Amino acid sequence: MNTHDPIVGRYVYVQCEGKTYRTYYEESGEGIPMVCLHTAGTDGRQYRHQLCDPDITANFRVIAFDLPWHGKSLPPSDFYLKEDEYKLTAKFYADFVVAFCHALELKKPVIMGCSMGGNVCLTLALRYEHEFLALIALEACDYSPGWWIEPLHHPHIHGGEVVATSVFGLMSPESPDEYRWETWWYYAQGGPGVFKGDLYFYSVDSDYRDQVSKISGKLPTFFLTGEYDFACTPEMTERTAEKIKNAECIIFSGGHFPTSEDPAKFKEVISPVLKKVLALDPDRRRERSGAYTARSSLSTPRAERPANANGRRLVEL
Amino acid sequence: MSRHSTRKSFDLEWVEHWARRVNEDRILAVIGRFFTGRFVLGVDETDYLIEVSRGKIQRIAEGLEANDFGFDFALRAASGTWAKFSQPIPPPMFNDIWAMAHPLHRHLRIEGNTLPFWQNLRALTHMLSLMRSA
Repeated sequence: MNTHDPIVGRYVYVQCEGKTYRTYYEESGEGIPMVCLHTAGTDGRQYRHQLCDPDITANFRVIAFDLPWHGKSLPPSDFYLKEDEYKLTAKFYADFVVAFCHALELKKPVIMGCSMGGNVCLTLALRYEHEFLALIALEACDYSPGWWIEPLHHPHIHGGEVVATSVFGLMSPESPDEYRWETWWYYAQGGPGVFKGDLYFYSVDSDYRDQVSKISGKLPTFFLTGEYDFACTPEMTERTAEKIKNAECIIFSGGHFPTSEDPAKFKEVISPVLKKVLALDPDRRRERSGAYTARSSLSTPRAERPANANGRRLVEL
Repeated sequence: MSRHSTRKSFDLEWVEHWARRVNEDRILAVIGRFFTGRFVLGVDETDYLIEVSRGKIQRIAEGLEANDFGFDFALRAASGTWAKFSQPIPPPMFNDIWAMAHPLHRHLRIEGNTLPFWQNLRALTHMLSLMRSA
């Protein structure tokens, strides 16, 4: 007998900034809609474990979409005429998230975003706080500089390999190899310049250091950051969360891609948060149906080497 | 012993031992087959010139000389930084060369022509990770 994941994928047409985007999304579960935002340069596959977890999908309609230019969502049809390289902006990103939720007619969804998807939660809190039930910002902070750099999109450098390897060290060395390399693979599959263009948002257009204190605090916001995140360190997240009223901050022993690099660890960390989110809207939770079965997912000292005639020591191998 | 055990010295013998592990590695033979170049591994004030041909280390020289005709790029850090990096489970912010070099942290300096550094990042990352083998 064949085994299937419970995930169903579809395309929806989303209007944003005067253009129509055929947008791919996957979903599973019933209850409170929870829209999951992938990290820079990748796609919604990063949430495949959560989409298959019956403990989550019993109470949440988990939805993961691919932003335009990512995964199975195409860039705009005239992308080849662009007179500037691809750059994701805070305005487009936030507007698109809201437009996607409207296209699916979601009522007060939860947003869970990671990395740039976490940073955009700050934009959403500032501009669209009444649209959402809660925000879960993974690996997020109010300023994450240093990533909008030329080597990530350069004709003399293999984009897939360099993009994927540049983020590999963001993961915890104790996360399972299988899932760390799966995450590497997602990154290696991004379109040319898309990771770098997303990092324009991440490192340039999402500097909220002067704005986070304006967030009202009416929208419950949870920050979660792994200790191996060198792009958004635990200290950077803590400093951000301290500036936002009613925000909660959790630091855990993981990395920058918790949903995909170590789903079991992430489940431990996120479960108490989801419990709190459910308590915000108990009427919309569903009893677990049980219809789905989740897939379980140097050295021995050597003698001192003598110097050569010039006083320089060499090793020929 | 803690999960982040400590490393001793980074002398020529240590570098040679690492280089021999690099040359025995079967993954690097594939992913490093186009990695040919010369880079500097800098530890405190000591520069080791590492000459790589098709992913294998051909020669290590302690110190730089004029007739080396330079090098492609250099990775320079304090011995304490390399000690953390080369632990079996390196601590946060020290588990990766880009992590250590990132402008937020600056524990490691990438100098010279960074183009071959980025071009060979995958092979180089794997090569340096072999410092962690006991």
